[in-house]
Amino acid sequence: MAFAIETRQLSKHYGELPAVKSLQLMIPAGQFHGLLGPNGSGKTTTIHMLCTLTRPDTGTIRITGINALQHPVKVRQNIGLVFQESALDRSLSVEENLYFAGALYGLADDVIKQRVDELLQLFDLTDKRQTRVAALSGGMRRGLDIARGVLHQPKVLFLDEPTIGLDIINRRNIWRFIKGLRQRLGMTVLLTTHYLEEAQACDQVSFIREGELIGQGQPAALIADLGAYILEIETHTPEQHIEIIQPQLGPPIVDGDRLLFRISDETFAVSSLQKQLQASVQALHIRKPDLNDVYIWKNLAPGSMNL
Amino acid sequence: MIRRALKAIIYRELKRMFRQRGRLLSAMVRPLIWLFIIGSGFGAMLGQYGPAHYQQFLVPGLLCMVLLFGSMLASLSLVYDKESGVMRMLVIAPFPHYWIIITRTISATIAGLVQAGLLIIILFALGYLDLSINIGLFLLGLVVTAFLCASAGILLAVFSNTLENFAVFMNFVIFPVFFLSGALYPLQHLPPLLKWLTLINPFSYGVDLLKHAVLLDFHEAFSAEFSVFHDLLFIITFSIIALLIACMRFSQVRVIEKLAKVLSDSRRD
Repeated sequence: MAFAIETRQLSKHYGELPAVKSLQLMIPAGQFHGLLGPNGSGKTTTIHMLCTLTRPDTGTIRITGINALQHPVKVRQNIGLVFQESALDRSLSVEENLYFAGALYGLADDVIKQRVDELLQLFDLTDKRQTRVAALSGGMRRGLDIARGVLHQPKVLFLDEPTIGLDIINRRNIWRFIKGLRQRLGMTVLLTTHYLEEAQACDQVSFIREGELIGQGQPAALIADLGAYILEIETHTPEQHIEIIQPQLGPPIVDGDRLLFRISDETFAVSSLQKQLQASVQALHIRKPDLNDVYIWKNLAPGSMNL
Repeated sequence: MIRRALKAIIYRELKRMFRQRGRLLSAMVRPLIWLFIIGSGFGAMLGQYGPAHYQQFLVPGLLCMVLLFGSMLASLSLVYDKESGVMRMLVIAPFPHYWIIITRTISATIAGLVQAGLLIIILFALGYLDLSINIGLFLLGLVVTAFLCASAGILLAVFSNTLENFAVFMNFVIFPVFFLSGALYPLQHLPPLLKWLTLINPFSYGVDLLKHAVLLDFHEAFSAEFSVFHDLLFIITFSIIALLIACMRFSQVRVIEKLAKVLSDSRRD
């Protein structure tokens, strides 16, 4: 299988602080891959290493088969990066920004023109062509930033927290744009996000904590493995309720007054449990698990405090 | 490919310059204030040569002043760009990072020259310049001096981290460099320490070069003080060394790494 991204034993320290610890990533060409973890878990450092902006202490990186440590410029030719912060010139217009970005990749004007037309349409920005970036809304700017990152049709696109700081409507739009892009260009996408539930559309996700890979898989399979349902209970007397429920459902994740139990058996009779608990809980909530839950269970030993 | 990128970077620099009308206007007004106010005042004091003569003496220095402010500020603004979106585009672009420095220096050189060009038109219109100057040497002098100012600016920019240094640059670099250059008075009568400072100030040689081109039939006491060869040698050597150091610094792994961190962390943009 051809790998778009291949790292072995990738490590990086900042002073004494380890940022990434012998990370091994094998991402096949064309895959939509999510690198998930909380802030400060090493996601951005990893992306910087893959994009040739940061040099690992040890390990190897191949991007579309090219050794990134030996041929950084060649790698940059083949990748697109959308930073968390906008990579746009606020004083220039939407169109001027895209022409500038295209020229940096040596694209001819007519090629740029054609792609700009297409991308502006895809990102709903056609009528903002002449608008200065400073006058765009946050969501539009993000869209433009992604358009800027794919103008040269990279084989691998890196999206570092593409939806950070956006409201829910704009977040949905950004996901719609990314989907449309992938349908049109079929590129490999590596995405980082700490809104884990948003990564459900990924083909494959990797969980990272303190610079280490702590799990990997297809979102649907990971979720199915976790259980059929999640039982969420709010209570003032957690110990008492753990005692009642633990024999039936196993140990919970404890988050202050909130308890999370996994229900593996789809036919589990919640009603009988409800009767046992009587009216002693503040709230009782049953829902399908999502990637957030997968991460929580991978990250925390059941019974531990604080999420 | 780098040529397209270079063209785009120059085009962007000029577009920004012409959009910032205030900046452009003050770049023109600043030397004219020196010419008319300082020029008349000191000229009157100089008696025997007369005010017109002193104003004429100021022309090469004021053209260099426009280059100093135009080119050096343009390349110094890399400090500001380190935290900007454009720098994100540039660090991820498919050319070695030292090209950011080189293209930036070239575009700053051109920005300064365009401003000097505007001032030259004004000076022509006002009668302070005419076609009796040595035009070849004049153009050469403008180009190498602009390049000198841009290279010096880029060298300072790669070694400084924050925008707060900007005022420091103004007061501790740009003004002293201008005052200690022979732009306002001949160097030969300065006390030894100041004289020594002017001799190690590469900008002095840019001013001197333009004096060669412009002050053709001036009294010996006011005309150029070094040979053309000497001027060119100093300017070009200094510029190339400054540019090389800046490029080398900007190619260092840890410098780019730190820059990448700033570009990802800052919440300013």
